[in-house]
Amino acid sequence: MDILFIAKYILVIALIIMMLAALRASAYKSTSMGLLGSSVVVVAFAVALLVGGSLYNLEFFRDISLALIFFGFVGTVAFAVVLGGNDDD
Amino acid sequence: MMIEYIQAALLIIAAFMIIVSAIGLLSLSNNTKNKVYARIHIVGIFDIACIIAMIGLGQYLLAGIYFILAPFTAHAIANAYWKKEDRENNADLMTVEEEVDENHPFIHPKEKMQALESEDSEKLKADERFSVTTIEIDEGE
Repeated sequence: MDILFIAKYILVIALIIMMLAALRASAYKSTSMGLLGSSVVVVAFAVALLVGGSLYNLEFFRDISLALIFFGFVGTVAFAVVLGGNDDD
Repeated sequence: MMIEYIQAALLIIAAFMIIVSAIGLLSLSNNTKNKVYARIHIVGIFDIACIIAMIGLGQYLLAGIYFILAPFTAHAIANAYWKKEDRENNADLMTVEEEVDENHPFIHPKEKMQALESEDSEKLKADERFSVTTIEIDEGE
């Protein structure tokens, strides 16, 4: 069997493990941990989508992955700014 | 053929780094000091592993974009935590000021309640004219 094919499946399994770990981490009590866990899940899903797209020839997988990474970043930073409040306080 | 081997090696390295960061994220003890910063640091390893995986998959533009964006995310989360939730290190958050309205019917200031409950409180002395009795019931009768 092709070694690249096996490597992709290993990567997907690792990403699923990381998603579960991030889900556990986001359940810790501070809000920042929830923010961290959700950002990890989004990025892990985007990379898993890249792997899935290259395995099964999905349509628009690259665009969806780019959107996930970019808007995940925007959402995380926006929430962190709202959580942090103003510097004048 | 050679490129495939390099891609496979990059993907396996990325998978190994992701599993190591997942174990680190879970095994960090709750008693550790500054554990949120430590977890943000661990997620940095995951970010780099994702960038390596993207390079292995041939998505160089995405890898470049995420390489620039990832530190901003980590800094934003750490900054928000420091400002509002870090009671271990941030001196501003260690003392919580309580603003209680004097005329509120149900909520009273802590100092006022402590003064009322102390032994030489005048109100407590005034209440001593009432005595408390216990009734003994003898079931044998």
